Amino acid sequence: MKKGEFAIIGTGEAPCGNYPERSEFETAYRVAKMAIEDAGINKNEIGAILCAQHIMGNEYNTEMVFGRLPEAIGAKGCKITCMTSSGGASSFSIRKTAEGILHSGETDTVLVVHAQRFSQFTINEQAKYFSIAGSDLEFEVPYGMTYNSLAAMITQGYMTYTGTTIEQIASVCVACRKWAMLQPNAMFNKKELTVEKVLSARMVAWPLTTLMCNVLADGGSAYIMTTAEKARRVCSKPVYILSDASDYSHRLVIRAKDKAMGGIDFLRNIAKKAYERAGLGPGDMDIFELYGSYPIIQLMLLDAVGICEPGKSGAMVASGETSPGGKRPVTTNGEALSYGHTGTGVGFGLFVESVRQLQGKAGRAQVPGARFIMENTGGGAFMDCHFTILGNEIP
Amino acid sequence: MGIKEFLNLSDEDVKKPMPKPTKWSKPFWEGTKQHKFLLKKCKGCGNIDFPPYLYCTNCMSEDHEWIEASGKGTLFAYAINVFAVPFFFWDDLPYVVAMIDMDEGMRIISNIVQCEHDKIKNGMRVEVVYEEVSPEITLPKWRPAKE
Repeated sequence: MKKGEFAIIGTGEAPCGNYPERSEFETAYRVAKMAIEDAGINKNEIGAILCAQHIMGNEYNTEMVFGRLPEAIGAKGCKITCMTSSGGASSFSIRKTAEGILHSGETDTVLVVHAQRFSQFTINEQAKYFSIAGSDLEFEVPYGMTYNSLAAMITQGYMTYTGTTIEQIASVCVACRKWAMLQPNAMFNKKELTVEKVLSARMVAWPLTTLMCNVLADGGSAYIMTTAEKARRVCSKPVYILSDASDYSHRLVIRAKDKAMGGIDFLRNIAKKAYERAGLGPGDMDIFELYGSYPIIQLMLLDAVGICEPGKSGAMVASGETSPGGKRPVTTNGEALSYGHTGTGVGFGLFVESVRQLQGKAGRAQVPGARFIMENTGGGAFMDCHFTILGNEIP
Repeated sequence: MGIKEFLNLSDEDVKKPMPKPTKWSKPFWEGTKQHKFLLKKCKGCGNIDFPPYLYCTNCMSEDHEWIEASGKGTLFAYAINVFAVPFFFWDDLPYVVAMIDMDEGMRIISNIVQCEHDKIKNGMRVEVVYEEVSPEITLPKWRPAKE
């Protein structure tokens, strides 16, 4: 991919939260329509429709794989359809698929859709799924491993090895909530959080309380991606993909490439490549949209992106730098912690929010004059990491 | 009263997930039954894989031997599960899940047992103990080392 070869010209997003009556099909249709209208194109210009996998939603997955969406939205020019998944990293792998399709020349317009509905499953079904997902059925699950306990172990280790305090960890949740309160579609956008509230909430997996764990939610989003050439023709403010960089570490955390607590070298090398490929540095970024889902992961990523000394990100967040009005806005949609965890959709949420910010359409959460954003996603049990740099100009 | 009676759950709801040994991991589970922690070591390059896989993740050789580990290690990090686990682990709450660095170099996930929770410290030395959880399966768990 050449710098700025592809661009996003429109987005759509459904409110995130508990919507058991809103089927994932309905969400997919609606966000697709919003993205088409926002991009100002005709639906028949769309030549490829890509959907992200719905975690646990086999009926939706089957229907989408069998091509329901192009027919349902009447995309008469659609030639290619597919479903993509790499768990939490799906927003990245699906975008790379879109880039490949655009590169092939078969079409110059791709619609990407994500929709999720967790509320159709019982809490025990969700707990069973997420206790087992990402853990080894033979060597980890029999010990009562859960996703929360994995994040808790990493948090406990990170605190011990870096001197970060539990109050600093909690401040990530507080900052995310502040952003979510500026977002009409966020799940938790009504009540402010404080460090005290986060720490006094019910303990789940020590040292994590319920408010330090993300909540599974129903949601969806979509965007239209095209070539830079077409984007300039049809859109007054396209958002260009300037660069990206990726690496895979492991399936099981115990086999991580970088065994040091925080995996700082592993993450930092990826961020460095993304900066080099864009010809930009950490100081050029107006916003960091980082996929944490647990506060500890946001801190590890902040340690890696070159804006603070490794191990000191907790102090940076606690100082308010990453909150609204701070000099380093981070996760401006509130992220999985307060926006809601939409399965494979967390990365889509951050990506769509990045586009909105760069188009000046982020409403009350708008960071004035945002030009460049570093966006991140990853899947599995922290199996991989992808950094993308987006801009509303090509430097 | 356990969670099963409290919520009127079925036996299936509270049945603990058990390891299902694969062709290539079977010797490991035969070992734990005899209170041995066996590691799959590649005869081609000497790499040890945990969990064991079909062939060596370093050189792809299938030629291997099983060696006995010392059963000693160091605690890297841990968490205490106290709430919101699947029903089949509910009656065990609170319990400790930990990452342990074995002396042979691999990191594993297990439980820390036979230790008061406030005495657990990262960096502490631990040793393996064996818990027979079914006639077929004995799980290795870890406690503070008595050395």
